[in-house]
This record gives sequence, structure tokens and C-alpha cells, in this order.
Amino acid sequence: MIAALSSLRAEPILWLAATLLAFEAADIVSRRSARHPLAHPVLWSTPVLMGLLTLSGTPYPVYASATAMLGFLLGPAVVGLAVPIWKRRRVIRRLALPLTAALLAGSATAIMSGVGVVWLMGAPDVVIASVAPRAATTPVGMQVSAMLGGLPALTAAIVIFSGVLGAMIATPLLNLMGVTDYRARGFSVGVSAHGLGAARAFQVNATAGAFAGLGMALNAGMTALLLSLAAGLK
Amino acid sequence: MRAAVTSPAPNGGSGTMIGAIALLLACQLAGEAIQRVSGLPLPGPVIGMGLLLGWLALWPKERPTLDQVTAWLTAHLSVLFVAAAVGLMQEGPILSRHGLAIAAATVVSTVLTIMVTAWTFRLVASRLGEDDIDEGGEAEA
Repeated sequence: MIAALSSLRAEPILWLAATLLAFEAADIVSRRSARHPLAHPVLWSTPVLMGLLTLSGTPYPVYASATAMLGFLLGPAVVGLAVPIWKRRRVIRRLALPLTAALLAGSATAIMSGVGVVWLMGAPDVVIASVAPRAATTPVGMQVSAMLGGLPALTAAIVIFSGVLGAMIATPLLNLMGVTDYRARGFSVGVSAHGLGAARAFQVNATAGAFAGLGMALNAGMTALLLSLAAGLK
Repeated sequence: MRAAVTSPAPNGGSGTMIGAIALLLACQLAGEAIQRVSGLPLPGPVIGMGLLLGWLALWPKERPTLDQVTAWLTAHLSVLFVAAAVGLMQEGPILSRHGLAIAAATVVSTVLTIMVTAWTFRLVASRLGEDDIDEGGEAEA
């Protein structure tokens, strides 16, 4: 019976089910904690799955091909980011100048400061390319990373770490800076900490949440654009 | 506000679920094709996002089904990339050698980006005479 069951290890259903179950378990904890950034389900389901793969002696490529259909959906999800941008077109048009200026400045700061630090600390190109798109939402960050010669999985981890950090520090940091405009607060968190920051901003204030969602969607495009320009110049 | 060009459909909206998914896939496909032909170092789905934005601008109307599909995808993004994040288990050597640099870069970049973005927004907005007001209703529009 064990032998019959162990043949399941090569089937997508085993690892798809394991992935969703691990995620759902972590998500229950996250909901119980009122969505505390440190309880983000990816943060806890990922090591659980790594442990299961190690215990069962399953090589990562087997797991990756079993769960490929989850990754496939990231493409249409990125395309769909156009919808929230379109729906807020009136706000974008009215605040075109401050939004464009803040987006350009923030997006460039995210790339240059991240790249600058790893470069100063002597990291190789593959690490630099993985850090560069860190402010873009995970699926975009991963795709840009792959194009620049980085490691998409490493970028995913960096992006998620950014999001957790941004969601945790945004409120005290912006209070310290004396920024009271919820549009500026939300937008800056979305540009720097994408979906995780936006989720946190929605908890604080509806305006902040809406502008954070906008910041996330716009910076996904801007990060990809700036880095493709940089790659083209190289 | 631009007038909606659609006539009210009996089902209260326009477009089916399959139609909305087909639109997303078609934009992504066109984005991938443009990427391959042009050689732009821009991911196909990001080009697809631009194409969808253009499509929505060319034919502005209410699209409740597309809204639902994209909201569902966005709300469940995390579970879609958890499988990719597991791939980090293969990168032990890089993490142990450069983990500190990566962590430092992430902290510095996250803090600076929030500061620069918020400051720039306020700087330009105040030049335009924009008060810092709460516009929850409009932002949600």
C-alpha cells in the first residue's frame, strides 16, 4: 500500500493540495491575528512546504512542475492590474502631477537604493538583478528579475520581506515625518510595499488604502519600465 | 465623467466570466507576442497590462464581470506565488553568502522609498494648492 501511495508523489494533485492546505492553514492564523504583517500566510506556508519537500525527499523541480498552474495565473493577474488603474482615472487625471512626480521619484529610489546597497556590499550581478525590482508586486518583480538575469524565487522572497517591513514601519515612519495627507501616506506605502502595504493602508484609512492600491499598480508598471530602460542602456 | 456607451443589458451587466478571462488572456498573449517581436526587456504580462488599459480607454463602459475576475485574482495573488517562493530552498548558498547584503538593501530601500514618495507627493501637491484632505469617496470611485 505504501508503494502504491508513494507513486502519488509525482502527481500534481499531491503538491497542489499540500500547497493550498498549507496556505489555508497559515491564512487562518493570519485572519485570527487581524492580518498582522508578520503573520502573512506566505511567510509561514513557504517554510512548511520546504519542510514537507525535504522530509519526503522530493526535489524542487518535481514540486515546481506540479504547481505550475498556480504560477500560470500570475500572468492574467498582472494584466488585470490595469482595472484598478482605469477605475481611478479621474483621481489620476486630477492629481496627475503629484502622482507622476512621486511615482517616478519613489520608483527610482527603490531601485537605486536597493541596488546601491547590495553593490556596495560586493554582491554579484545575480543578486543585484534579484534586488532591483523589489518594490514591484511579486509577479511583476519575478518576471523582471528573470529578464535581468536574477533569481525569481529570491526576488519573490525579497519582495515579500519588503512588503512585511513596509506594512510594519509605514505608520510610525510617516507619523515621524509629519505627513498627514492620507493620499501621500497611502501612495508611498503602495509604491514601496505593494500589496502588503496596501492591505495595511486599507486597515488605517479608506483613502490611504485606495491610493496604496494605485501606488502598487502604477509602480509595478514603472519598475518594469525603468529597469527595461536600464537593461537596454547596458 | 465620460458617458457609458453601453446600453443596460437585461442581466445588469455586460460580458460573461469566460469573456473576461478571454480578454485577460488575449491581452497577455498580445503582450508576449509584442515582447518577442520587439525584444523589449519588459515582461509580456506588463505589456498586456498596458494593452488592457488601452482597451478599456477605447471602449469605456461598465465591466462588472471583468472587475470581479480581476478583483478575485488580485485578492488571491499570495497563494499563486507561494509555490515560486518555495524555490528559495534551492538558493541556500546565495542566501548564506549575501543574505546580510540583501536584508540591508531591503530595509534601506523600503524606508527611503516611503520617505521620498510621500515627500515628493506633498511637495508637488502643495505647490498646486492641494490641501491634505480626506477624499475617501473620490479615491474609491
